[in-house]
Amino acid sequence: MSAVDTASGAASSSKPDQNGQNGQNGGREDPGGFKLKFCTVCASNQNRSMEGHLRLSLANYPVISFGTGSLVRLPGPSITQPNVYKFNETSYDSIYRELEAKDPRLYRANGLLNMLGRNRQVKWGPERWQDWQIGMPRTKHKEDKGADGMEGGVADVVITCEERCWDAVIDDLLARGSPLNRPVHVINIDIKDNHEEASVGGRAIVDLADSLNKIAAEEREKVGASAFDSGSVGARSGFDERVPDVLAEWQERWPNLPATWTLAWF
Amino acid sequence: MSEQIQQLSAARKMALENPGYFKQIIQGILPLTAPSAPVELRRWAADFIAEALACPALRTPDKGDLTLAIIDALRSLVEAPDQDPLVLKAGIMAAASAYPVIVRWIIGNAYHPAAWEAMSAIKSKILSVWEGALTPVKLCCIKFVQRVILAQTASNGTEPKHSGLDVNLTMIPPNHNLLDPRLLEAEAIGLLDRMLGGLQDNSSDALIVDATLNTLAILVRTRPATFSRITNAVLNFNPLKLANSPMTPKNKVLVKSMTKTTQMLLKHLLMRDSHNPLAPRLSQHFDRLQRSRLEIFDEANRKRALPEQAAAGYGDVKRQKTEAAAPQPPLRIQPLAPGPHTLAEVFSLTNNTGLQGFDVTLVPAPLTARINVRTLASLDQGQLDLAINGVRDRLIALYAAAPAVAPVPVPVPATATAQQASVNAETVNAETVALGVEEDDDAYEPDFYAAEDTEQILNKLDNAPPEEPPEQNAEPDSALALGPFRLPPPPVLNPDTAVKVSQITAMRIFGPLSGLEDPLVRKPKAGLNRLAANSHDRDSWLTLITRLATRSTMGLEDDIKTEADATALGRPQMSLGNLIREMLFNYVLEDWRRRIEVAVAWCCEEWYNDQLTKREGLGAPLNYERCALRLMDGFLSYITAQDKVLTRFLSEIPQLSRELLGRLKGLCSDPTTVQLAMTSLLYLVMMKPPARELALDTVYEIWVEYEDARPLAEKYLHRWRPGFAEAHAAANGAPGGNGSQAMTA
Repeated sequence: MSAVDTASGAASSSKPDQNGQNGQNGGREDPGGFKLKFCTVCASNQNRSMEGHLRLSLANYPVISFGTGSLVRLPGPSITQPNVYKFNETSYDSIYRELEAKDPRLYRANGLLNMLGRNRQVKWGPERWQDWQIGMPRTKHKEDKGADGMEGGVADVVITCEERCWDAVIDDLLARGSPLNRPVHVINIDIKDNHEEASVGGRAIVDLADSLNKIAAEEREKVGASAFDSGSVGARSGFDERVPDVLAEWQERWPNLPATWTLAWF
Repeated sequence: MSEQIQQLSAARKMALENPGYFKQIIQGILPLTAPSAPVELRRWAADFIAEALACPALRTPDKGDLTLAIIDALRSLVEAPDQDPLVLKAGIMAAASAYPVIVRWIIGNAYHPAAWEAMSAIKSKILSVWEGALTPVKLCCIKFVQRVILAQTASNGTEPKHSGLDVNLTMIPPNHNLLDPRLLEAEAIGLLDRMLGGLQDNSSDALIVDATLNTLAILVRTRPATFSRITNAVLNFNPLKLANSPMTPKNKVLVKSMTKTTQMLLKHLLMRDSHNPLAPRLSQHFDRLQRSRLEIFDEANRKRALPEQAAAGYGDVKRQKTEAAAPQPPLRIQPLAPGPHTLAEVFSLTNNTGLQGFDVTLVPAPLTARINVRTLASLDQGQLDLAINGVRDRLIALYAAAPAVAPVPVPVPATATAQQASVNAETVNAETVALGVEEDDDAYEPDFYAAEDTEQILNKLDNAPPEEPPEQNAEPDSALALGPFRLPPPPVLNPDTAVKVSQITAMRIFGPLSGLEDPLVRKPKAGLNRLAANSHDRDSWLTLITRLATRSTMGLEDDIKTEADATALGRPQMSLGNLIREMLFNYVLEDWRRRIEVAVAWCCEEWYNDQLTKREGLGAPLNYERCALRLMDGFLSYITAQDKVLTRFLSEIPQLSRELLGRLKGLCSDPTTVQLAMTSLLYLVMMKPPARELALDTVYEIWVEYEDARPLAEKYLHRWRPGFAEAHAAANGAPGGNGSQAMTA
C-alpha cells in the first residue's frame, strides 16, 4: 500500500496473534513483517479510541487516534457540568492534574483519573480529526505509543467507535476532496462509551486488526501479476476486496458490536 | 535485501522530516522502478513516489519539479508489461497526484510537450487497463479518472486551493497549443459517464461503488458541469439491489456499506447546498434509503435483541464481559466469634463493616422485593447454597454452644434473610466494580450510593432502640426465637384530628368525580331503587355520594344531636354526613345549571331518609327541608330570566313547602325574573295537583305583595282558583282594573 519498513515475505509469514486475548496486560512479541497502519476515532479521543490506540500499539501496529467532537468533553460532578477542554491544546497530563485537584474522590471513583492516567502514557493529548492534516509527516510524535510506522501521517484503516463519528469522518473526507488519492477503509464499530465496553471494544479492534493485517500480508506475499491468477479464490483477490469478507467473519465473532464499512479516499 | 530496505526507510524518514530531501532521494531510487529490480524494491519505490507526490508538506513549485523529474520513470513503471499489481496500484496513485501538477505546468510551459506526452501516455495506459484490472488497481483507476475530470472541467472556485484540486479548465487559455479546452472537457464528460456507469454495472460490487461514490462529492460541489449527471446517477443507483439475494453475513456488510455510503454522499450534498432544485429529490432518496436500511437491518430495534441473545446462550448480560472467564470467588462464611450475637449478625455474610451496619429496613419494601426477585433470578445456585449452609452452620454452632431450650423454626426466614444480606453485598460490590475501584481499596468510600455514610448509619443504630432487648441476648435461644408480634397501638384520636381526618376523607370521596365520564347513553333512571354502584361512571358515583351523605350515619346520629352544642362551644364539628352534604352542596353550586339533576337526586335521597327516620321514630334531625332551602337560596342568588332549570328543580323535588315556594316571591321584586317565578308556579299548579293549593297560595301572596307581578298572578288566579274573581271583584275592584289595564297595555 505504501512505504513500510519491511515487506519481507519470509518475515510476514509468521501469523499474527489471532485470539486477541493477550493484548490487555501488555504487549505481545512483535512478529515483524508487514503492518497495516491504523487510526482509531471516537468523540473525545479519550476513552474508546484511546483504548483502541493502546491495544493496537501493544499489538505492535502503527496507530494514531483522534476525536471528532467539537471539544473534549468529560463527565463532571453532574450531567450539566461537564469538564470541557480544547483539542490539540490540552494534554492528558494537565487534564489529569486539574481533575485530581478538583475532586480526587469523584474522578477516581468514576474512572476518569484512571483513564487519563492511561492516556498520558499513550500520547500527549487529545487530537481532533477535523484538524488533522492528513499526509503531513508526523515526525514530532516519536514518544507516542504506536508512532513507529506512522511517520507518513496516513493510515490504511480508520476505525471509528460510534456511528456519528463514522459519519463525521466520511463527511470530512468528502469535504477535503481526497487530495492524496489514497484509498482508506473506514470501519465503524459501535462501542458504548463506558470503560467496560471500551475494553471489550479494544479487544474486538485488535481482533479486527489482526484479521485485516493477515490478508494484507498475504497480498504482499504474492509476487507478480501471474500470482494473482493462481491459488484459491480468497488468496487470488487483493486486500481491498477481502475486507468485506473479513469484516463479515469478524461480525459473526462479535455480534454485539455492529459494524459499518466503506472504502473512502484520503 | 532487508538491509537495503532499512537504508531506504532511513532515507524516507529524512525526507519526511525535511521535505527538501524528497527530490534528492527520489532521483536516487528511480532505478529501482525498472522492471528488472526485485519486486520488493519496486513496490517500495512506487510507494515512495506516490507518497512524495501526495505529500502536503511539499510546496506546489517543489511538487512541480519533483513530478517533472519522475514522470518518465512513472510512465515506464505503468507501461511495464506484467507489472506487479501493488506496484501498478501505487503507480496509478502517483499518476493521479501528478496529473493536475503536469496540467498546471503545461499551461505555463506550452512549448515543452515532452512532459505532456508522457502524461498522456500514462493516461491512455491507465484508461486501457481500467476495465480488466484487478479490483485494487481498478479502484485507483477510478480515482485517477476523477482527478482527470477535476482538471478538465470548469471550476466554480469553491474547492480547496491546494494539492492540485484547484487545477481546472478555466486555467487553460483558449489558444493553448497543446491543450484544447473543448476536447479536454469532452473527454472529461466521457470519462465521467464511464465512471458513473460503474455504479450501474457493478451495483453489487461494494468496493467499486463505495470508491466511486466517495470521489463524487468534490465534483458535484466544485464542477457545475458534472452536477446533473452525477446526481441523476446517484438517484438512479439502488444500493439495496443486493438485499434481494440471500442475506449472508457478507451481503449484509456490502448492502449496509453501499447504502450508508450513498446516504453520506446525499447528506453531504444536501447540507452544503440545500437550495438546489434537486435537493427535495436527494432528500427523498436519503429518507427512502434510511427507511429501507432500518427495515433490513432492524437497527431501530437493536436493543430488543437482548432476550434473543440471552436465549442464544450469551448469558444474562447485555454486553460481553471483559473478564468473562473470571469466576466469582467462592463465598466464604466466617464462623461467628464466641459470645452473644444479634440475629442480624447471624445472617450477615459480608465482612464489610459499613455494610454490616446498613439498615435494610431503610430500603422501601417494594424496592427490596424487586431487588430480591432480580437477585434470585440471577443468583448462582452454588453461591446461594453456600450462603444457606454457612448460616445454618452458624446456627448449629450457636445451638451447640447454648443449652438447648426449644427448637426454633429456622429455614424459611433464614434463606430469605441470607439472600437479603447477599443481595446487599452484591449490589454494592457491583457498583464499586463498575466504578473501576478495587474491592479492597479501603481509602475509597463512595459517598453517593447511600444517602448516609456508614458513620451516620452507625450513630443512628446506636440511638435506635435495640432490635432485641439486651437481656434476651443473654440467652442465645430466645435471641433466635421469633416472639409474638404485636402491631404498635394506634395514636390516640382526639376530636380535632378526627374532624381533620374526616374532612380529608370526605374530600377524597369527591376526588374521582372530575375523572369520571358521563355515560354515553342516557339510561332511564331507576329512581330510589337503583343500585349505587352498577357501573363506574359519574352517575353511579354521585348516587353513592348522596347516599353516603344521607344514609351512612342513619341510626347512629343519636350522639350527634349535640352537634349544635358543640358548635356553641366554639368547636365546629360536623358529622361525616354533614361534611359530605356541605361538599355536595358546593359541588352542585359550582355549576348548578348543569348539576340540577344531582341536586334533585340529592333532595330525593334526603327526603327518603327523612321518611325512614320518621317511620323508625329515631328522632334524628331531618335534613330534607334544610337542604332544599339551602339549594334554593343558592340558586336564587345566581338566577337569571333564562334559567328554566328552576322550574324543573321545583317540579322534580319530592316535597314542596310554603317556605320553599316563598323564596320565589323574592324573584318577583325583579321585573326580569317575574316571568320565571310565575311560570314555575303555574307549572306546579298544572302538573303537580298535590302542590296546587300551595302554589296558588303563593301566587296569591305575590298578587298581594308585588305590583309588577300582579297582572300575571291575577290571570292565573282567575284561571285556577274558582271564586277568586268574585271575591276579588266584590272586595276590591280597583287593583284588578289596573291589572287588566296593564295586561292589555
